[in-house]
Amino acid sequence: MPTAEYFAPTELRDALRLLAERGNQITILAGGTDLVPQFNCRELRPHALLYIGKLGLNYIIAKNGGLAVGSATSLEEIATNRLVFERAPVLAQAAAEMGNPTIRNVATIGGNLATASRAADMPPPLLALDAELSLVSERGERVIPIGEFFKRAHKTVRLADELLTEIRIPSVKGQTAFVRHGRRKVFSCCVASVAVRVVMDGGKCADARIVAGSMASTPVRCLGAEGILQGKHLTSELAVEAAAQAVGECKPIDDDRATAWYRRRVIKVLIERAINRASDL
Amino acid sequence: MKYVLSFTVNGQPVETLAEPTASLLDILRDQLDVTSPKRGCESGDCGACTVVVDGRAVPSCLTTALTVAGSEVTTVEGLMGDGQLHPLQREFYERCAAQCGFCTSGMLMAAKALLDRNPSPTRAEIALAMSGNLCRCGAYVQVMEAIEAVAGRKCEVKAEDTRERE
Ligand SMILES: Cc1cc2nc3c(=O)[nH]c(=O)nc-3n(C[C@H](O)[C@H](O)[C@H](O)COP(=O)(O)OP(=O)(O)OC[C@H]3O[C@@H](n4cnc5c(N)ncnc54)[C@H](O)[C@@H]3O)c2cc1C
Ligand code: FES
Ligand code: FES
Repeated sequence: MPTAEYFAPTELRDALRLLAERGNQITILAGGTDLVPQFNCRELRPHALLYIGKLGLNYIIAKNGGLAVGSATSLEEIATNRLVFERAPVLAQAAAEMGNPTIRNVATIGGNLATASRAADMPPPLLALDAELSLVSERGERVIPIGEFFKRAHKTVRLADELLTEIRIPSVKGQTAFVRHGRRKVFSCCVASVAVRVVMDGGKCADARIVAGSMASTPVRCLGAEGILQGKHLTSELAVEAAAQAVGECKPIDDDRATAWYRRRVIKVLIERAINRASDL
Repeated sequence: MKYVLSFTVNGQPVETLAEPTASLLDILRDQLDVTSPKRGCESGDCGACTVVVDGRAVPSCLTTALTVAGSEVTTVEGLMGDGQLHPLQREFYERCAAQCGFCTSGMLMAAKALLDRNPSPTRAEIALAMSGNLCRCGAYVQVMEAIEAVAGRKCEVKAEDTRERE
């Protein structure tokens, strides 16, 4: 059996060269928490691994009032970083509730996005924050809104020669909340999750984001439910109405964590709670 | 293809060959004869394989061996100094915090990484740091007590503090 090749470049241009020349054969390796279990059970036999942990993509910096986060930054760093707490608390919270501490030490934010798992915990908060992703190749840089990144479960718009290098979080207004439900508090990928951001102006909701996770093959931005909140005084009755609308916008499936039936019931409660929390009701 | 891998295990520099898809657990157990990390689930779910890499507790079954090149890896074999049990090992032993013992190596290393960073954690901080480590025998209570005992010795004040909160 032919075994894999391994590359661990320290320069971004060397990584991009490899991807340009042999992108289709290369498996990008970050923390390995999604990939290595597949190696262990021989589900995946890569031709070549490109380890990106030595490229200096591990950083969190303040940028234009928001944040720039390197794709190889661990979720533990995101969960405990002061800048993230201040500028994107909803992201810090979602990172802190993901997996368990040892997994978080190695799992990266870029891996969490690129895996494009239905149950991934980083996409909902990042969508709620209007984040953008930087995809870099020898051809140059392409910056896309995160909402355009996911095509379906385990499929993104990343091209074979591109590397996800940075997650950019703009300076956005509003209060946020993230609520997730799993079978166990730690460890388990979630059954359903939601990130909410509401922007209040003169006692009314000027803008809203409601993003459900694990409720379709990609994260669901519940535009109809957002519309229900817009321009209104937020009350718990309105939260119930928006949550009911949001359920209709989701397309959950049955899997080993939960049934679609159960997910619909759970997400309704989670969305209500998240709206109430974000708007201090 | 196999690649040369150099890193430090319990203070000893080692050099070995590793396949790109081999995990750190594979290399430690099968090539370096460091058998304290246990092969439980190989999917990150149990914590029996936990080792400390550059000060952080990680599941060695999920860590690609070649990525630890140049790193410092610590396992239970490295806990003992001068023939003396590490305080965590002593407390685990005295409080029967191991029954079958399969989870114990991972528990010890997760606890060590915690105490090295935070010598006087609260009960909640201990529970969080240990939440990736499962014990089929259900020795959780003794494990918590053992870690608290070591933490308490390092900082009496904080120990009283946590007892009050219970
Ligand atoms: C026990 C356990 C519990 C877990 N719990 C959760 C949970 O609660 N919530 C959750 O969301 N996830 C969870 N996960 C899944 C996983 O840990 C996360 O998705 C993690 O963030 C993946 O990051 P990584 O760096 O380990 O990815 P890797 O395994 O290194 O890579 C994942 C995928 O992304 C690609 N990739 C990685 N980086 C890049 C990049 N920069 N550019 C392009 N492609 C890239 C890889 O090629 C691969 O296809 C869990 C996993 C385990 C084992
Ligand atoms: S063997 Fe590594 S977590 Fe179970
Ligand atoms: S002592 Fe048996 S698994 Fe923990």
